[in-house]
Amino acid sequence: MNELQGARIQMRVFCLIVFPVVLSALLSACSDRATYASPDEALQDGWRYYTLGEHQASIRAFEFAYETADRDSLLYAQAAYGLGVVWQLRRPNEDVLLASRYYDEVIALRPDHDLAAWSMLAQGRILHLVPVGETPDYDAVRAAYQRVIETFPNHIAGHEAFVYYHATYAATLEPEDAAQSLEALEAFLEQYPDSPFTSAVWSLKAVCYETLRMPEKRLHAEIKAFETAEIDPENPFQDHAWRYWTLATVAEFDAGDFDTARHYYRRLIEEYPTDIRIYASEQALERMDRTEARLRAAQQPETQP
Amino acid sequence: MKRLRGIVAKYLPVSVIVLVFLWSIVAIALYRAAQAPPGAIVLRIGHWQLEASVREMFEEMADAYREINPNVHIVQDAIPEMVYAQWATTQLMGGTAPDILQVGGMIPYHLLVQYYNRYMVPLTPYVNDPNPYNEGTSLEGVPLRSTFKDGMRSSYVEEMQEYISIPLSQFGVRIFYNRDLLKQLTGLDEAPTEYRAFLEACREIEQHRNDKNQPYVAIASSRYHLPMWENMLMDPLTYGIKRVADFNRDGFVSNDELYVAFKTGRITFDHPSIRLRFQMLWEISKHFQTGYTGLTRDEAVFLFAQQRAVFMTTGTWDARSLQEQADGKFNVGVMDFPRPLPDDPVYGEVMEGPQYERVLGGFPFSIVRTSKHPEVALDFLMFLAGKEQNEKLNRIIGWIPSVVDTELDPLLKAFEPHLRGVYGNFNIFLGGETWIKWLQMYSQFQIHQISYEDMRAEFEPFYIKHGLKDLEEQQKDWRRGMVNNEQFLAGIRARAMHAEGAEAQSFWIKYRSLTASRQIWPEISRARQMKLVEIGPDLGAVGPYEYSPEVLDRIRARLTEDDTDSTVGRVPDPASSQ
Repeated sequence: MNELQGARIQMRVFCLIVFPVVLSALLSACSDRATYASPDEALQDGWRYYTLGEHQASIRAFEFAYETADRDSLLYAQAAYGLGVVWQLRRPNEDVLLASRYYDEVIALRPDHDLAAWSMLAQGRILHLVPVGETPDYDAVRAAYQRVIETFPNHIAGHEAFVYYHATYAATLEPEDAAQSLEALEAFLEQYPDSPFTSAVWSLKAVCYETLRMPEKRLHAEIKAFETAEIDPENPFQDHAWRYWTLATVAEFDAGDFDTARHYYRRLIEEYPTDIRIYASEQALERMDRTEARLRAAQQPETQP
Repeated sequence: MKRLRGIVAKYLPVSVIVLVFLWSIVAIALYRAAQAPPGAIVLRIGHWQLEASVREMFEEMADAYREINPNVHIVQDAIPEMVYAQWATTQLMGGTAPDILQVGGMIPYHLLVQYYNRYMVPLTPYVNDPNPYNEGTSLEGVPLRSTFKDGMRSSYVEEMQEYISIPLSQFGVRIFYNRDLLKQLTGLDEAPTEYRAFLEACREIEQHRNDKNQPYVAIASSRYHLPMWENMLMDPLTYGIKRVADFNRDGFVSNDELYVAFKTGRITFDHPSIRLRFQMLWEISKHFQTGYTGLTRDEAVFLFAQQRAVFMTTGTWDARSLQEQADGKFNVGVMDFPRPLPDDPVYGEVMEGPQYERVLGGFPFSIVRTSKHPEVALDFLMFLAGKEQNEKLNRIIGWIPSVVDTELDPLLKAFEPHLRGVYGNFNIFLGGETWIKWLQMYSQFQIHQISYEDMRAEFEPFYIKHGLKDLEEQQKDWRRGMVNNEQFLAGIRARAMHAEGAEAQSFWIKYRSLTASRQIWPEISRARQMKLVEIGPDLGAVGPYEYSPEVLDRIRARLTEDDTDSTVGRVPDPASSQ
């Protein structure tokens, strides 16, 4: 009887004291709310978690900053922007409507700040990057990009929006769209000759000229795109081999400009001796020599097997 | 007594568990103490190379390193290939991973990128500094990145924009052969590297029987070895397909381009490049042992080691173990793949050159974030990547050094990669039903159950009819990829916004160049691709590598212009008149 009573007492102690303590410790460990010393620290953690793909933890950190920062402070806008990015881009369980509301808040609070420019661009990207199997509403997409271009004409986000905007026309591969885009692209290069997106704009021009079947102008635009490209010296994949190949083959087969073709085939051979296209470049140099010799002799060039 | 028995019965299980637990703690402590004295820095290195020579190498390199760093002890965790991915995953997630971990191969790439991101130390800050262990050598002062044959391309993770590993070796594939058996059966001192002579040698070998009256097999093969033959010998025959189907003229025939070429009748299975590729497979596989597609790598190696077969293809990773198995029994030779001559009556028309081989570093190691001594781990990796040390470690294993200007084991000279050559362009993979159909037909062809004509008659119409659906399904991945790109671009943009000075500039350049290459051009390329698939190429147009009449007119006009200029005294540019 005494043993039974002892067991009952032990059970009561466990139920009343030990179990609640352990449970509360476990619950606090699993709490959905993060705790940080400052909103700034939470923001840093939010981005760290985001880059690690820990989206839930990232949201918790950004929410902490969002809830604890002064609404008039930059930290608050930064937290709202962070929340917008995570809700827009997390997979699965994304919520693009919620993301867009956060972006709207950033734009309303800091209309002239960098964050507003990036938020507005992100709203365009939401419309552009539709789920698999759906087609974007290109009118809405272009309107969203146009808004960024008009609101932030001198901001890098505005220039990025400009490139996306005209890429939607270039991608139709329709001569009318290409002709229309060309005018705007040329105007952009005149107005913003030092834009970091200059190379991308020249490349878009090359696409338009290709659609319009203007090979010599296309070659010129491709060369300008190459000459104005930004190079990240840390990235070994950002080599010029593929650009040299493109320039050389466009010059040889579309523009019939063998001097330019030779120039870029040779640069590929000299600067990228281990590239996969070296052999083909050497063959091309020989082929052009043979072709010129045959044409000089008033013969037809050899046919390809 | 009864009470004592009750107590024992009650507490025995718990006591046994506690005792076993204590014993395991003591055992592990003693084991660790035996590996390194108290107070020493212990670096653990995890890898999946169970070859004896690799473990010996690490022992030897650890001893050499301890001579200059007496307090550092290296402990190996050599884990079998079969369980390496699970082991590495649990160790990384549990925070108990070794300080240095072999990465790559065993883990699916999308997971590997996440592991790199979460668990590995980026090495980008060190790649442009010289390796201190190259002092006094020809590589003194050379940035680390430039001391590797592949320029550390294999170490760069584009998704992270970071260098993440250090490659310690380089690999290649060739044919190993039993020199003594070749001489005995064919009278040849060297294996023939010309295709026809090689086939003749194979036929001669198969005429003989050993002292147990078993027939000799010319080539030991298996389902593991077949892709090496295909890749190195047969696929290069399809290089010429690009002249018909490389519509975007990037130098390669993608799966959609090949499909369009088939769909529009620009190419069929009658194209010489395709027909001869399969004819060569038919000819070569006649000399494999019966049922090779059902055999494993080890079964082929066994046949070779037992001196029942003369030839076997494999990579540098097997070189040392094959030498060891042959030691005292026969001499091992290494040869390049036998190529047809340019005037070969059958293959000459499509054999345009040797197989191109990309130089890529392998045997890569990363530093784990949870390492207690990341700076020592980095120093040890730098040590292994030093010119002399890298040469030594690869000499011990029997592999090719990954560092430039190093000496090779004489046996491995034949593995020098072909940097000028051609490559396969028969990319039939569209996934889905057409791929399943292809695997069914091709596997029957491989074992000579159906002829090329039968395979073609059944597959080609099926491919043309169902390929578009499979291609469209595959295209959905493109849209998913765009979202993934957007995700990591937002991360880079955030880092750029929070950085300052040169660091911020570098991040912005990365951001913009990736935005262009990952988000802008793929959309245009895809539009071209879909237009090509749906509408087809301009039927009046010439092939991608041919001159149209308009282009020929332009060339003629330029030549006339040049000739006129030169007659009036212009000095022609010598560089443009080769």
